[in-house]
Amino acid sequence: MNFQATPMKISDLADNTGEWLRGTGAESDIVISSRIRLARNVARFPFLSRANIKQKRELEEIVRNKIKEAEITSDLRYINLADIDSVERLFLVERHLISREHAGGEGERGVAFGKSETVSLMVNEEDHLRIQVIRSGFELKEAWKTIDDVDNKLEKKLTYAYSSRFGYLTACPTNVGTGMRASVMLHLPALGMTHHIEKVFNAVMKLGLVVRGLYGEGTQVSGDLYQISNQFTLGKSEPEIIEIIESVIPRITSYERMARKALIAESREQLEDRIWRSYGMLKVARMISSEEIMHLLSQVRMGVNLGIINNIEMKTLNELFILTLPGHLQKLEGRELNSQQRNIIRAAYVRKRLEEI
Amino acid sequence: MKCESCNKKHATVHLTEIVGTTKKERHLCEECAQGINTQLAKVPSPTEILTSLINQVAPEINEMSKIVCPVCGLSYLEFRSNGRLGCPMDYTIFRKGLIPLLEKMHGSTQHVGKVPSKAGKELIKKNELMQLRNELNKAVEKEDYEKAAELRDRIYELSGDTNED
Repeated sequence: MNFQATPMKISDLADNTGEWLRGTGAESDIVISSRIRLARNVARFPFLSRANIKQKRELEEIVRNKIKEAEITSDLRYINLADIDSVERLFLVERHLISREHAGGEGERGVAFGKSETVSLMVNEEDHLRIQVIRSGFELKEAWKTIDDVDNKLEKKLTYAYSSRFGYLTACPTNVGTGMRASVMLHLPALGMTHHIEKVFNAVMKLGLVVRGLYGEGTQVSGDLYQISNQFTLGKSEPEIIEIIESVIPRITSYERMARKALIAESREQLEDRIWRSYGMLKVARMISSEEIMHLLSQVRMGVNLGIINNIEMKTLNELFILTLPGHLQKLEGRELNSQQRNIIRAAYVRKRLEEI
Repeated sequence: MKCESCNKKHATVHLTEIVGTTKKERHLCEECAQGINTQLAKVPSPTEILTSLINQVAPEINEMSKIVCPVCGLSYLEFRSNGRLGCPMDYTIFRKGLIPLLEKMHGSTQHVGKVPSKAGKELIKKNELMQLRNELNKAVEKEDYEKAAELRDRIYELSGDTNED
């Protein structure tokens, strides 16, 4: 309710995650989440790369106040990124509430989000405003409905930089037009194991879509998690872009299911052994690196989907992908940790979470 | 024969230039020929080599290189080197250079998506019409005439134009 008077403590969030990791929604065995973001800029202001300190401060204030006035959700809180330390910023990146660029940026900038963490609004990122909606499962249409609504509310308060020819004007011409990037996060372990993933990439790229790792542009793929998103933002309407992505996802998910079936048919024992070994490792290991845990969680997640492992909830596994990341572990411990310390705490944390079951 | 360069003096120098597979003869007076000679003898500077390279890859850069946005002070060359624009006005100022770039990136240079309600109802209508026309073209391509007729009716309805042309 109160936008600024009750500053949120980041540590309050450390032991849970946003609703998008619940593991619900359509095709949620393979589709982890659906995400849409819109890039918007305020008219009559330079983009951030050419804005001076005074303009940046002014922009931050305007956009922050307008977000507040727009009454997007009743529980929206705002964090000024200049007020928090780098571990806390990393923590917000890991939760997909801000981007890496936003975390590493300079000057007045911030983020607003509600308790469910479904909607987040980044102020002074690459553009003056980036609106984001993430939902659990394959729910792009629903995400569009939500974000369109948020955008309409804000548009009543703010005059966006817009031209009838080029649409919403953005700092980078790769975002101009709709300013929309829609993406779907997929878990594709069997296609990875059977080396069919390249075929998927080629098919996807032919449609003008791109495949990225867990944290977007330039990030490595780990835990067999892939993000598929549109590259073009101009010349097609938002529903058209969403439709293109929506048309390709069921083909990929059925391909993944086929690959899983084939693995079971050809080498059930081997597959089961791999999955149970990964599960065992998570339950007993004393040190686990961030790379290793992604791999182990990926195997166990597939095991749960295939009914090989029955006693773990999908929500728990989805959450562990995020809660065991460096920023989260450090926030949970309340201190800075080096890589070796993190590996020990990570293993202990996972053991504890799996014992609770 | 008159010099083909100045068209005044008598041509006394006859040059044969071979570019690729075509042969070109030039007839010049002494004075003009000297100008050509010094040009030929001159070794191109790194800047010239660079400019010619840029011209081959992106010919618009040379033409646009002197343009600076009066609003934010960004030059077109700065934009090309870091990929970020400085202000909304740049889309107008650098339009000529941006259009081929946008075409390459998006396969289009015309927005057909959402229109802010502040941008006016007219604009919304204009965009909707444009999108319907796109869909109509697609329907015709696919020989889906039923859909095409339906789209055509909607276009007429929106534009208030019932002329069959």
